Amino acid sequence: MPPQGTNFYLTLAAALLAGCTGSIGGDGERAINDTVAKSLCVVDTPIRRLTRFEYNRTVRDLLGDTSNPADVLPPEEEVAGFNNQAAALTSSDLLIEQYMKVAEDVSARAVGNMEALIPDCDPDLDGNDACASFFIRNFGKRAFRRPLSQTEIERFKSVFDWAIADADLGRFEDGIEVVLQAMLQSPSFLYRPELGEGTPIEGDVVPFTSWEMATKLSYMLWNTMPDDVLFAAAEADELRTKEQISAQATRMLEDEKARDLVRNFHTQWLQLTHLDSVTKDTGVYPAYQSSLRGLWKEEIQTFVEQVVLEGDGSLETLLTADYAFMNEQLAGFYGDDVLDSVSGPEFRQVQVDPERRAGFLTSAGLMATHANINQSSPVFRGKFVREQLMCNTLPLPPNDLVIEPPQLDPTKTTKEQFEEIGANPACAGCHTLMNPIGFIFEHYDGIGQWRDQQNGKNIDATGEVVQTDDIDGDYDGAVELASALAGSTQVRECVSSQWFRFAYNRTVTAEDNCSVEQLNDVFRSSGFNIKALLVALTQTNAFLYRRAVELEPDANGGAQ
Amino acid sequence: MLKGTLYGGTVAIGMPMLDAMLPRTGSAQTGTAPKRIVFWFTANGTRQDIWSPPASMDLNGHPLHAAMAPFSNKLIFLDGVDQSVTYDSIGDGHQTGMACMLTNAEILPGTLFCEGNCDAGNEQYVGWGGGQSVDQYIADEVAKDVVTKFKSLELGVQVKSSSIWSRMSYSAPDQPVPPREDPNQNFTDFFSDIDSDPFALRLIQKRRKSVLDAVMEDHAAFQSRLGYEDKQKLDKHLQSIRDLEQRLEITTNFGEACTSPELDLPGGSFEQNDMYPVTGKAQMDMLVMALACDLTRVASLQWSRSVSGVRFNWVPQVLGEGHHGLSHYDDGDASAKADLLEINKWYSEQFAYLLGLMDGIQEGDNSLLDNTVVVWVNELGKGNNHTRRDMPFILAGDCQGYFNTGQHIDFGGEPHGKLLVSLTHAMDKPVNTFGVPQYSQGPLSGLAV
Repeated sequence: MPPQGTNFYLTLAAALLAGCTGSIGGDGERAINDTVAKSLCVVDTPIRRLTRFEYNRTVRDLLGDTSNPADVLPPEEEVAGFNNQAAALTSSDLLIEQYMKVAEDVSARAVGNMEALIPDCDPDLDGNDACASFFIRNFGKRAFRRPLSQTEIERFKSVFDWAIADADLGRFEDGIEVVLQAMLQSPSFLYRPELGEGTPIEGDVVPFTSWEMATKLSYMLWNTMPDDVLFAAAEADELRTKEQISAQATRMLEDEKARDLVRNFHTQWLQLTHLDSVTKDTGVYPAYQSSLRGLWKEEIQTFVEQVVLEGDGSLETLLTADYAFMNEQLAGFYGDDVLDSVSGPEFRQVQVDPERRAGFLTSAGLMATHANINQSSPVFRGKFVREQLMCNTLPLPPNDLVIEPPQLDPTKTTKEQFEEIGANPACAGCHTLMNPIGFIFEHYDGIGQWRDQQNGKNIDATGEVVQTDDIDGDYDGAVELASALAGSTQVRECVSSQWFRFAYNRTVTAEDNCSVEQLNDVFRSSGFNIKALLVALTQTNAFLYRRAVELEPDANGGAQ
Repeated sequence: MLKGTLYGGTVAIGMPMLDAMLPRTGSAQTGTAPKRIVFWFTANGTRQDIWSPPASMDLNGHPLHAAMAPFSNKLIFLDGVDQSVTYDSIGDGHQTGMACMLTNAEILPGTLFCEGNCDAGNEQYVGWGGGQSVDQYIADEVAKDVVTKFKSLELGVQVKSSSIWSRMSYSAPDQPVPPREDPNQNFTDFFSDIDSDPFALRLIQKRRKSVLDAVMEDHAAFQSRLGYEDKQKLDKHLQSIRDLEQRLEITTNFGEACTSPELDLPGGSFEQNDMYPVTGKAQMDMLVMALACDLTRVASLQWSRSVSGVRFNWVPQVLGEGHHGLSHYDDGDASAKADLLEINKWYSEQFAYLLGLMDGIQEGDNSLLDNTVVVWVNELGKGNNHTRRDMPFILAGDCQGYFNTGQHIDFGGEPHGKLLVSLTHAMDKPVNTFGVPQYSQGPLSGLAV
């Protein structure tokens, strides 16, 4: 992220914000403000636009449009493992062109049902102007997630008036349609400005308005716009104290919409999108069918959703649970590993063999993703554990190095083959970090089915884990490793930081140290409960405050 | 399949109509057809050992390029051109190969993408590409002369993700340009005008103008409340709206060769691995028709991305492993070499298909291909050592007589920035250097007539 702010402007900004700061300072005040913000761990997040995922859910809640219209927009940049990082959400001509077309499609569908769109005003009885103004004010408040200024109301009304006066248009619906198009292309809809206001608590650190806080909470915990309860709280200015905010967060996590959050986070953290492009050699794996990919993904998503939102919510359960969610086809695929019988296409909870399966870690979806087309991959599996669960960053193979994955050898096990490669000194430096962890997963073949033997030899699922903070040692099998991971401080802090990145839409910086400590403390004292961590994410200074906006020297601030 | 007279028949193409309200039958203008430039990207290097053509330029029987034999007198093979700037830049082989390819600029520092050589505990991160790419530069310059419906068209075939490994065009430093990947959507965006009745079209245009006017006012008010860096971000957005509005009234030039193409559209499966050939063909068909209709003068077609993992299941000889994996085998691995031959041969066949379409469209005395230069680029020379030296660049079409085609030139280690300079000259928008001056001192000698 670029360095915070452009301090050059602070003197003039202070002049503009004299009502807030009460004085015009120079370098001295700037330095003091920097120190204050740092000591409070207040780090601003750049303005961010809605991701496609958020746009889709927002128009669902705003207009009842469930067509996922934003799917046609260019994909978001993936940074630090997530696609919602503010610094990376750039704009392009194509994006803006598609925003226009998506807005047109959504608006055309919306005016197809005027009674749902404007339920409380009838233009035939109340008049076009009255109903249009009513719509702009009320719908606009939900679309922009704050009340519109008089200037804004007039601006949208003039678009309506243009359409009503146009010889080719002229109907009330035509006017509403263009207003909708304009609102859906407005930066107030497409972006989430969190500008803060009011008297600084210290230095130039200011709180957010209740409207901004409602939006912050809803996009963080639901990935969509606020509901009526949040809007009512914003209207009453009751999103100011930590207690008010925490009560809302707790309520929100009990809502159905929290499922979107949990699914979206885990889809990215556990790299489930990779499942879409998995293919397997059916000569080697006759049990593989492409229909399994969707089932594998659903298994993991249902599991994390149930554990986090309806189960005990603990990280330990995510990593070690002896139950899973499956339908008949999937249970058939897992065979003896499933201890209950399942029939029909519906997913239900089943007990699994606790000697063979543990939480999401050993799920077929993860095992198959982190494998080659015709064999397991100790490298990919070790890399996944290192990077996603332990927050290590592993280098890619160096420039100019020839890399040769092993060909299938019917006389050897996969482990034997990879041990030979790992012994190469050019590779060993990095691969001792990955391969031995991967060996611990060798009971799972390239599609995640349990195996006791390979090529007539017994599976050896032992491996030595090295260079970790707290779980170095020898392990035999992934169930044992999962249990160690669940007890590892490194893993717990890694999970906490993954949620930080996802929830705050930015990477952790050095200035976040007190927020990070606070999160880790709450996580620990809750028994590593994910819901408690999510509520704690609404209680840090990084979430509650920002530094006052530094306007440009020539900005007059009065364009509205 | 494209319908109409695209294949073979002599058809005329008029100059673009700048007056949106001209009736369809009024396109009687004639004159010299415009110059166009097209970039064509394939990934992961090539088979450098067999890439060069014979001195005779007879490509019949060539292991990679036989499909291009009918066009050999319209091609230039460039040997010995290096992406020198990539060796100064931060970033790994694929990153620099991709981001420097059309910019000749070093990658920006940043915290977005971890680079390949970083050591655990000492990670090195990089940002986006550090300069405007040559396609976008030419598009900006052309836009000063003529406003076409699209300033440039970037098409992609299963590029999918958005990262430094998957973007080759930049509108400015730090501003990657995403390609259009959905052929179904492209068909609507490019050609719906042609089939719309003029009344409906006019209605859409004036409604858009009215709405965008309001949106721009809204933007100005919104931005006045933002801090400096946020405002920069929104400025780019606002500029795109201005640009969009300016282009609203440009309608398709309904020359005779310009028709709404009939295509095998892949529907919702366009991102599935095995639809790669179908999606690619639809994109090529539309690209050529977009040029014939003068929707733009600057275009690109990006096949996948650097580190492409496409599995060439439709080429029977190639095993199921992805392209990038295959590109990493040792030079001595006969099986991998055979697979890489088939993959790169397949791309040559696609290139030949594109050239065939373009050469079949007559524009006055020239074909569309003769009025164009198509530039085949790759982020690497060879996959297994990530070299960015001796890049497998090919030019097709002489761009109205600028290039001396039908030859194979060995430049003996010239920097590729000079090729980018040559391209600006070919398009009559000449610069002395492009990107890092050290690696772009004037055009490559021997390319021009």
